[in-house]
Amino acid sequence: MKTADAVVIGGGVIGTSIAFRLARKGLKTILIEKGAIGGATSGSCDKAIFLQSKKPGVHLELAKASLAVYKQLEHELGESIEFEQCGGMIAIESEEQLSTMKEFVQKQQQAGIPIRLLDVYEARQIQPVLADHMRGATWSELDAEVNPLLLSQAFAKAARRNGTEILTHTEVQGIECIQGRVAKIKTNLGEIATETVINAAGPFAPAIGKLVGLSIPIVPRRGVIFISEKVPPILRGNLLCAQYIVSKHLAHLSENYNPYGIGLSLGQTKSGNLLLGGSREFVGFQKDVPPEIYASIAEHACRIIPSLRGIRMIRTMVGFRPSTGDGLPILQESPDVEGFYIAAGHEGDGIALAPITGQIVASLVSKDNQFAHFTQHLTLNRFAALL
Amino acid sequence: MDEMIICRCEEIPLKTIRKTVQEGACTIREVKLQTRAGMGICQGRTCRPLVEKLLPSEKEQAAVYQISGYRLPVRPLLLQDFFKE
Ligand SMILES: Cc1cc2nc3c(=O)[nH]c(=O)nc-3n(C[C@H](O)[C@H](O)[C@H](O)COP(=O)(O)OP(=O)(O)OC[C@H]3O[C@@H](n4cnc5c(N)ncnc54)[C@H](O)[C@@H]3O)c2cc1C
Repeated sequence: MKTADAVVIGGGVIGTSIAFRLARKGLKTILIEKGAIGGATSGSCDKAIFLQSKKPGVHLELAKASLAVYKQLEHELGESIEFEQCGGMIAIESEEQLSTMKEFVQKQQQAGIPIRLLDVYEARQIQPVLADHMRGATWSELDAEVNPLLLSQAFAKAARRNGTEILTHTEVQGIECIQGRVAKIKTNLGEIATETVINAAGPFAPAIGKLVGLSIPIVPRRGVIFISEKVPPILRGNLLCAQYIVSKHLAHLSENYNPYGIGLSLGQTKSGNLLLGGSREFVGFQKDVPPEIYASIAEHACRIIPSLRGIRMIRTMVGFRPSTGDGLPILQESPDVEGFYIAAGHEGDGIALAPITGQIVASLVSKDNQFAHFTQHLTLNRFAALL
Repeated sequence: MDEMIICRCEEIPLKTIRKTVQEGACTIREVKLQTRAGMGICQGRTCRPLVEKLLPSEKEQAAVYQISGYRLPVRPLLLQDFFKE
């Protein structure tokens, strides 16, 4: 039987980041992925690392800490992941949105985020493609981006260089415990003896939790994105609309008139393709998307940027954000099963938070308490009332 | 031969795909995620059969390997063609 100091379940951005840090600490690590590296949520998402939109407090501090890791990550991984601090904009379409965003900008500024409110003239100097009727925008130089496909691959390669064994097309089917402690992993291709398991299965984390009798409150939140043909650069940094912020932060208020959670998210890759979203819905793992959703995303985007009408779309993507409900992941050793760590639930921020997550989980496993200021907010227990 | 372009849209040569397969990729999805082959305007309609031939033989592939699905739209469409009206 194979043996390992630690087994990571899930080869998305989160699992590969964790495997890299564990291996770097000298642990004999095995990563198990049932499909392809970066083939699930981490391969069906946008590339934005948005800070200006983060709630002051843990959300913002985590994102800042992750950005700090990003700044030296290409050096650590030894290759390009197309990381760039390119800036980000939130476009404002109505008077109503403008008054909400004025308050929002003030709060963010008080929290120390460099963010400015621009009038429509200033906004169009940065993004000339914005429609005439826009009321303004916010802009922050802090926002960044990365290529999520390169990110998972680069983490996996670096993990392998540091001794991690990566088993793709291998599915975890059982976890055996002895006296309340993890002892063995069962896969379709054999067993692995280990006392440490990290559940980094993203939206599939609850199914892995069940294998040890643990209930993990993560649900899939579906998102749909269009991908366009390559076009010359039309955009600076990444662009959201204020509706997106409203539907993210005030979901309970907006659900009535925005059932699909439509909000613009637009970015252009280094190769010239536009990534254009998006939606936010709780519909389980349903991959069939009704045409109304594509129509709503298209109409919404073209209202804000009319010239998008004439750009060809070559593909659509459907992804399932792992949602805990409060916008924060669960990063903790299970209180009930010794050696079983949960590292999932990053919802719409997994790309932004992957670098810091690897460090936090490696620190949890080595029990050095280095990130207690974060992990005290990221426990499973905070959902005790729901379980 | 090695320089022969397999994916014309993204200009990915044979050697890049061979290297990826040698390093362990055994599905279309893995080759695509790692090389961009099939990500271009034709979405693999030209190169997919070629890439499939370069993958390890079907016998070697366990039954669990999922095949890569096809995604909307079937042909490139203008964004305005998705509107409701
Ligand atoms: C439309 C959309 C847009 C997004 N945009 C952004 C963005 O701009 N910025 C940002 O920061 N975040 C964004 N996100 C969020 C981000 O994509 C996710 O938070 C992140 O990808 C989650 O990564 P993960 O590794 O936890 O999950 P995944 O990538 O899903 O990885 C989990 C892995 O576990 C594997 N697995 C499951 N069960 C088993 C098993 N039994 N055995 C072995 N392996 C198993 C799966 O195959 C999968 O590969 C977006 C998400 C969506 C859907």
